[in-house]
Amino acid sequence: MTNLATGVWYAIAADHDLVDGHVYRTVLGGHELAVWRAQSGTVQVWDDRCPHRGVRFSLGEVVGDDLRCQYHAWRFGPTGACTFIPAQPQMKVPGTIRARTWPVAQSGGLVWTGIDPAGPVPDLPPGTVARAIPIARPAAEVAAALVALEGLAPVVQPLDAGTTMVRAIATDGDVPRADRVLVALRRRLESAV
Amino acid sequence: MARFARTIAHTPGCPKKRNRAAAKTRWTLRRGGLATAAMTAIDPIVWNDWHPVAARCTLDPARAHTTVLLNQPLTIAIDGAGTITARRDDGGALHQDERYGLVWVCLGTPDRPVLVIAEADEPDRPAVVVGAVAVRAAGPRVIENFLDLGHLGYVHAGYLGDDPHTRVLPYSVAALPQGGIIATGCRMYQPQASPAATEGFDVEYVYKVERALITCLYKSNPLHRDRFDVIYLFVQPVTETTSVAHPLLLCLPDGTTPQGLRAFQQTIFLQDKPILENQRPARLPLADGADTPIAADKSSVAYRRWLSAIGLTWGVIPAPAKAARAA
Repeated sequence: MTNLATGVWYAIAADHDLVDGHVYRTVLGGHELAVWRAQSGTVQVWDDRCPHRGVRFSLGEVVGDDLRCQYHAWRFGPTGACTFIPAQPQMKVPGTIRARTWPVAQSGGLVWTGIDPAGPVPDLPPGTVARAIPIARPAAEVAAALVALEGLAPVVQPLDAGTTMVRAIATDGDVPRADRVLVALRRRLESAV
Repeated sequence: MARFARTIAHTPGCPKKRNRAAAKTRWTLRRGGLATAAMTAIDPIVWNDWHPVAARCTLDPARAHTTVLLNQPLTIAIDGAGTITARRDDGGALHQDERYGLVWVCLGTPDRPVLVIAEADEPDRPAVVVGAVAVRAAGPRVIENFLDLGHLGYVHAGYLGDDPHTRVLPYSVAALPQGGIIATGCRMYQPQASPAATEGFDVEYVYKVERALITCLYKSNPLHRDRFDVIYLFVQPVTETTSVAHPLLLCLPDGTTPQGLRAFQQTIFLQDKPILENQRPARLPLADGADTPIAADKSSVAYRRWLSAIGLTWGVIPAPAKAARAA
């Protein structure tokens, strides 16, 4: 765990990470998250843990508007409520069986969440979302180094105390250049230790 | 030591035995010196029990087998005459035995022998060692997975279950007189219950947990439907969150070669491995409210409560004291 600021929106995935049927796995401040898009188009951010027997949801798959856990194929709908338990198909699923859900916002080609995030999602300039680059340095240090990068609007996602994911919008649409800049930055920060 | 003291305080059942175990553990640790200083908290329940550490058939005189038991590195050697010697790498004492084709080690003071398996003495049941499967999961999680009926139709789809035959029918769970639990009357439709099965059929199961890290099942044999195949699962506790599974087959002859039996069971175990390695938290939570079981999970619930009742601390997150007493 790391100290995750409350009231803050963090970008934790790009829209293009959410492939049909796939559950995207990430970490925010030590919290393991499962991110997925229902067939209806709504995006979900959940604790990456099935409440039944603790298996990571990210091992599972998206079936229609439900996420299906890989262990016992329990299904959970977009509100987080369990909708079907195949071992007891006749049972009306108790409303208390639910996945833990996180707030979600979509903006600038990114998926945002946080602990009690307040206000609107940060406004980013238009452009193209570049590949996410993980850097084995704390978020504050990475954020400080990102300030003066031309043509890039970067956002940082603290993974844990010592690791940070950088997502950036290439404002000129030149994604290969953005990628080279971020990889060079990673090399510089990680070798400076 | 602090955590160890708590362990003793939580096991009011037989204080004498626990205290003796504690004294022995401390002595062993002192002899082990600084290198083993981190091991002060080993649960006496697992420390004083027997655990499999190798299969005879995989030992090679030309190359010693190295493994880890309860955080202790071990080396298992076999000489040209077939004599097996297990040693602790730190020179500490251990007890060694051999049963069912497996080498067993107790690092503490054994208060009972290696589990006696009556079916192993039946002349028409060859013991087939399946092979060691390393799993990055706590031992109790591996046992719980073995008891689980609800996953058969998905994790083992096409073999031990199949959609839409996923309903878990009611079954019974009871305490065993010598400790542990037994689940009876379990039934599951299985398309390929074993290598010899030529068609799907309703398989009847009985499950037993006789020791914290030993479980077994009895299941209908496709040819001898009035007798049961027996499959044991011994879990070698490596660290609190890593294990080696040693399955043992005591199956009735049905034309399947030992290689065929091994291949089938290895397929099954390797299907469970990614599930086990993705369960959180890594240690099995014993508190009643930690997870959300349903009626189909009756045996898993009984297993967790039994672990609470005996005061196991290895590889689990113990329930708060009150809950443990209520169990």
